[in-house]
Amino acid sequence: MRVYVLRRLLGIVPTVLMITFVVFVMMRSVPGDPVVALLGDAYDEQDAIKVRASYGLDQPILVQYAIWLGKLARGDWGVSYMTGRPVLKDVLVRLPVTLELIVLSMAVALAIAVPAAIIGALRQNTWADYTATTIAMIGVSIPEFFIGVLLLLVFSIGLGGLLPSSGWTYLPGTCPTMVCGASLWGNAQHVLLPAIALGVGRAAILTRLLRASMLEVIRTEYVTTARAKGLSERPVVLKHALKNALIPTVTVMGLQVGFLIGGAIVVETLFAMPGLGTFGIDAIIARDYQQVQGFALLTALAFVVMNLVVDLTYTFLDPRIRYA
Amino acid sequence: MAITRDALPELTAVGARDDLRDRSLGRQLRRYGPIVIGVLMALTMVVVAAAAPLLAPLSPSAQYADAVLKGPGAQDRHVLGTDEFGRDVFSRIIWGARISLQVGLASVIFAFALGVPLGIVAGMQGGRVETAVMRCADMLMAFPTLLLALIIVTALGGSLVNEILAIGVALTPNFVRLARSLALTIREQDYILAARALGGGQLRIMARHVFPNALYALVVVATLYIATAIRTEAGLSFLGLGIPPPTPSWGNILSEGRQYIKCCPWITTFSGLAIMLAVLAFNLVGDALRDLLDPRLRGE
Repeated sequence: MRVYVLRRLLGIVPTVLMITFVVFVMMRSVPGDPVVALLGDAYDEQDAIKVRASYGLDQPILVQYAIWLGKLARGDWGVSYMTGRPVLKDVLVRLPVTLELIVLSMAVALAIAVPAAIIGALRQNTWADYTATTIAMIGVSIPEFFIGVLLLLVFSIGLGGLLPSSGWTYLPGTCPTMVCGASLWGNAQHVLLPAIALGVGRAAILTRLLRASMLEVIRTEYVTTARAKGLSERPVVLKHALKNALIPTVTVMGLQVGFLIGGAIVVETLFAMPGLGTFGIDAIIARDYQQVQGFALLTALAFVVMNLVVDLTYTFLDPRIRYA
Repeated sequence: MAITRDALPELTAVGARDDLRDRSLGRQLRRYGPIVIGVLMALTMVVVAAAAPLLAPLSPSAQYADAVLKGPGAQDRHVLGTDEFGRDVFSRIIWGARISLQVGLASVIFAFALGVPLGIVAGMQGGRVETAVMRCADMLMAFPTLLLALIIVTALGGSLVNEILAIGVALTPNFVRLARSLALTIREQDYILAARALGGGQLRIMARHVFPNALYALVVVATLYIATAIRTEAGLSFLGLGIPPPTPSWGNILSEGRQYIKCCPWITTFSGLAIMLAVLAFNLVGDALRDLLDPRLRGE
């Protein structure tokens, strides 16, 4: 097991390197010069040459990438051209906001998907099943930003501002500056709508998958045996059927992390949240190479690490699976 | 009328027949209902997009100074209201269907044309070719579709063709993976062995045997990816990186309407509904096709 984990961890390195290299090349092929944007009205050709040299932008792309990698190996993620702040510091400030959003949206997704899938599978081809599957199909088809808009219309505008439409309140102890507000209640109010907006689509996908998986599992012999032993329906469904049906669902949940990061960009923009999504989109629009590299690195790492975590979760869900 | 004992079996048989017919009808409805609804919705979208100049009651760019931010039914000519420039939302949504469907269909065709040959070659050749192709696909798949499309479209600039390219490239690894896995299964079949025994070259086998046999599954998945492409296009436009205004696309209508959501929710609501219906249509068609073609699900 330890060897397997080590091998997988080593396998992450080339994938992440390739991703960062592709992003590095792509961002440098973007029309427009970040130095022009940085100097603004004070642009002067001599100053621009100096700034380019100070950031290493006058070097060939491969050399620039090698310099970036060398710094990365020493824990230096570079300095933003626009803000002058270290990228790692900016990323770490924004990471908790996006992590909280993703974790809560996954919790929302599971809270909807598990009961809906169980009802759908246990009452297959009844109205309850049709309702669950129809709602799931509609849920899959609604983009996050439209769900977000509908939630804003109902909870922020329709119900007299019951929940805030934008902004953020940090969790106590996570406020990155001296001036930002931090409270548990305020945080819950701010994160609720974005988490639902992001979670509903995932809930729909998981409902469909888990229902199909449950339908297969409840027809297996070990479930029949559990029933024949006289177990009541609750432990049969929750302990025997659900746990086994979760295996393919966990795979998809892991893959959903990528979609959640993509969705987070849109949802954070809609709700004006200071997370990694808005950080990434602002960096891409401003052509801040260093920030984009940091964002790409973190996204790629999150995706590949999550895939590893998913693979390791299988052993917990199904003890028959062992990694050599 | 009294029912005699002798008549009962016949009545029971008739009842059972009716019951069977009902059940069969229910099963047929369950089986074909979603695909019929999906196909009808998708066809409507295509017709609306193709006939936009005929169907749109007003020009999508005409500005009516007497109807700025007016609700549905305003001035008896704006069915779904107007936006901040006094433009007719209904006409803009009809014209917006063109962009969404063009991007949806063209980007999937691009991804299909690029990804399927690569996947089949990887699956059939194996070895270094397979490793190289799959590493590239894995690398691209480690990026969320929207994020990858976002970076590409930023690099190329926002236009219809660039959006198609960006979303097409972002979807390509999905087709590579699927085509490869199908090729791996198909290459073990007896008819491939027979084709080889008859002297068929690798390229001929791939084109004449592997591709046609993989086509069903690929088309089903392609239908589902049209929905993904439409969503991604709307997402890019929503973020302000899609087709630049004033060309109407559902995403940029929604994005522009966001600023007026408090006073004029119809702009965002109707454009959002259009996106949802288009995505739903292709999801229904793709899902139903998959269920019909999957023998394991056919008996359900």
